[in-house]
Amino acid sequence: MKTSSFANWTIIGLTLTFLIGPFIVIILAAMTDGNNLAFPPEGLSLRWFVKVFTIESFRDSFVISMVLAIFGTLAALVIGVPAAYAISRYKVPGAGAVQLIVSSPLIVPGIIVGLALLRYLVIPTGFTIFATLFLAHTALILPYAVRVVTSSLQNLRTDVEEAALILGCSRLGSFFRVVFPNIRGGILAAFILGFVTSFNQVPVSLFLSGPGVRTLPIDMLAYMETTYDPSVAALACLLAFMSVGIVFLAERFLGFSKYV
Amino acid sequence: MFENRTTGLLLVLPAALFAAVLFLVPVGILLSEAFRSDGGSFSIQAYIDFFSSSRNNTVFWRSLKLGLYVMLTSAVIGYATAFCIVQLKPKSRGRIFALIILPLMISPVARTYAWLVILGRTGLVNQVLIGLGLTEDGLRILFTETAVFIGLLQLFLPLMIISLMSSMENMPRDVIPAARVLGASWFSVFFRVILPLTREGLVVGGTLVFAGSMTAYITPAILGGSKVLMLETLLYQRVTVANDYTSASVIAMILVMMSVVTNLLLKRLAKPRNRRV
Repeated sequence: MKTSSFANWTIIGLTLTFLIGPFIVIILAAMTDGNNLAFPPEGLSLRWFVKVFTIESFRDSFVISMVLAIFGTLAALVIGVPAAYAISRYKVPGAGAVQLIVSSPLIVPGIIVGLALLRYLVIPTGFTIFATLFLAHTALILPYAVRVVTSSLQNLRTDVEEAALILGCSRLGSFFRVVFPNIRGGILAAFILGFVTSFNQVPVSLFLSGPGVRTLPIDMLAYMETTYDPSVAALACLLAFMSVGIVFLAERFLGFSKYV
Repeated sequence: MFENRTTGLLLVLPAALFAAVLFLVPVGILLSEAFRSDGGSFSIQAYIDFFSSSRNNTVFWRSLKLGLYVMLTSAVIGYATAFCIVQLKPKSRGRIFALIILPLMISPVARTYAWLVILGRTGLVNQVLIGLGLTEDGLRILFTETAVFIGLLQLFLPLMIISLMSSMENMPRDVIPAARVLGASWFSVFFRVILPLTREGLVVGGTLVFAGSMTAYITPAILGGSKVLMLETLLYQRVTVANDYTSASVIAMILVMMSVVTNLLLKRLAKPRNRRV
């Protein structure tokens, strides 16, 4: 079944060019010294990368996206880890239904969730946009948190916990002293997956933006509509490096891919 | 392992309640809205109205069409690429695989934005075409269905390649040489050996790509603009421009149905066949 290895590599090379090529183009385009977004760039400089940091709305929306991604993921873990523990260790009545409900944020397209929350939570109850964004992002990450932690728990043998219980440890004590240290890797993997998902999320946040409250990707979309300069390209590169860097480090030190 | 059902229930309750109250209830109300007539009784008038508008029809069929095109093209490229990758030695296979999934980690906004530079009127493609003397002042690629198609293909191709690769890795090693030795042409090797054995990966990849393309927002928003609306960009436009929540609810229903059917299909496929691992 040997096909010629030259033909092999040509096909792989073409596909990779299509998938990765645009990133190289945009990195180079962002390093332009000129004022227009163009390829090939007119002279090389990093000034657009510097400019990104001086645009106030990007700074604000970056902070909002960061806060949402970090605390939304933590909140999802706080309610997700007990659920994962119950699903893998207890006979929960209606477990199938529970799993379906918890994973529903994966099934319903985000744009609908954003619109539904705007109309039936923000408008009638006066909930702030930021609080709603936070809840929506938490709900969005919840399925990932439950799934990753559940599979980590299923891989952990139950006899260590039983031993702890027999030796007089309480349920709660055995969870924190025995189970938790063993699933730390899974929880960290869930955190990273949740963080990247939330940070890059667009559809859910589309309708949930108000004065002064916008996530970074939404802000980028808005900026693009009015301005065609290389700063969005530079920002896109920075974000791409950030995501890839996080995933690379996670893979390096954690073996991220075995959890996901 | 523990028999205490109440404790188990108490542990899942926060997560289940959270998802139910925040997700299912508001989304349920939104979806039901299009089924209510002005008097509050059940009616499908909103759906009839929606599909009697030629603009809505265009958008609906365009989304379906682009979804299909992207799915078919990614299947063709996916088979060729996945087949080449599985032939590699494990070490380079791992590296190439990492490069294939790399784009999935990156913000879709960043991924799509790159195409503006490539497909724009003074973009890379037009520069090459003009340089070759094929066109005078450049083609209009941006804000056409072609641009949206290219963007979606790049966005979702990795999913197809991954699904096909995992099917191909499970394929018995010697079936292809066996078929060749017995005189099958490459054409019939593909249709009679490879395709049936990787059908599962094709369906999984295909549904992911199709549903993903149909429900995409960012790509049509950036590369299609208001000229090439798809379902989600139409929904956004109906709400923000016209306050037309009835159409929004109809589109929402179409999108949810798409997603539910896709998920059911994937679940059915994923279940009984885990024995191979």
